[in-house]
Amino acid sequence: MRYILIIAATLFAASAQAEAPRDFLARFEKEAGAAASAERGARFFTTKQGGEWSCASCHTEKPMQAGRHAKTDKAITPLAPAANAERFTEAAKVDKWFRRNCNDTLNRLCSAQEKADVMAWLLALR
Amino acid sequence: MQTEPKPIRVWDLPTRLFHWSLVASFAIAFVTAESEKLRDIHVIAGYTLAGLIAFRLLWGFIGGGYSRFAEFLPTPRKLADYIKSLMNGKPQHYVGHNPAGAVAIFLLLGVGIAAAASGWAVYEDLGGHFMEELHEGASNGMMAIVVIHLAGVIVSSWLHRENLILAMITGWKKLRNPAHENSAG
Repeated sequence: MRYILIIAATLFAASAQAEAPRDFLARFEKEAGAAASAERGARFFTTKQGGEWSCASCHTEKPMQAGRHAKTDKAITPLAPAANAERFTEAAKVDKWFRRNCNDTLNRLCSAQEKADVMAWLLALR
Repeated sequence: MQTEPKPIRVWDLPTRLFHWSLVASFAIAFVTAESEKLRDIHVIAGYTLAGLIAFRLLWGFIGGGYSRFAEFLPTPRKLADYIKSLMNGKPQHYVGHNPAGAVAIFLLLGVGIAAAASGWAVYEDLGGHFMEELHEGASNGMMAIVVIHLAGVIVSSWLHRENLILAMITGWKKLRNPAHENSAG
């Protein structure tokens, strides 16, 4: 029983290591080795990048507002941190959804530069 | 005493249709899991899987012969004896599910229910990130059991020199020694 409690506490501590949206901008800029551009991020986000969908197909061109899933029409909460405090607070979640959504929109993974640019733009939205 | 191989009908049609439909629905759900574009197909495959398992749970009680849960409910004793017989190189032969296979089947049914239920919750936006993790864990767990099940089928087919895959397609097995058969139940 004591071991179960210790394991549960460890898991809880691991999951509670919350990060701030700015941490991801810093991380992606560091990985890219270059500064991010919010302007480039906006263009990347709102235009198709070779796939059938752009990021905006689900998240809209103004991610301060709620989006709709382009396939299932289900509501998607706003992506911009200023509109939704839960966004970009957990590394596992951020990595997972960049992986999935980049594959859907680009048919490949996003580069660190692309992710940095998108982060810069999302963080600038008010 | 060795007698003429005697053909016996082991798997009834509903059990075989269930088995291969479950294979198809799980395979489709698994390969469409990473894509939002294929989300509708993924969800349909998942609900199909849930419906198939619901049918199998019912068939385990009202179905006939070797399809019934009571026929292959693996007691710890039978499982231990069976594994011992494998290690001794003299594997006990079962007409229906052997005790190890039966464990895999009950695990698959249980984990399949967990995967489908958590998938439904994710689709309905219930349970947040935790539910997503649970869904992925259950689904990957199901795939792991499938791999073990496949390994068991191959090893068992080889040890007993019988084609278990063909038996799940046609429903028939040939009994070499009908007097020495076991039943897991």
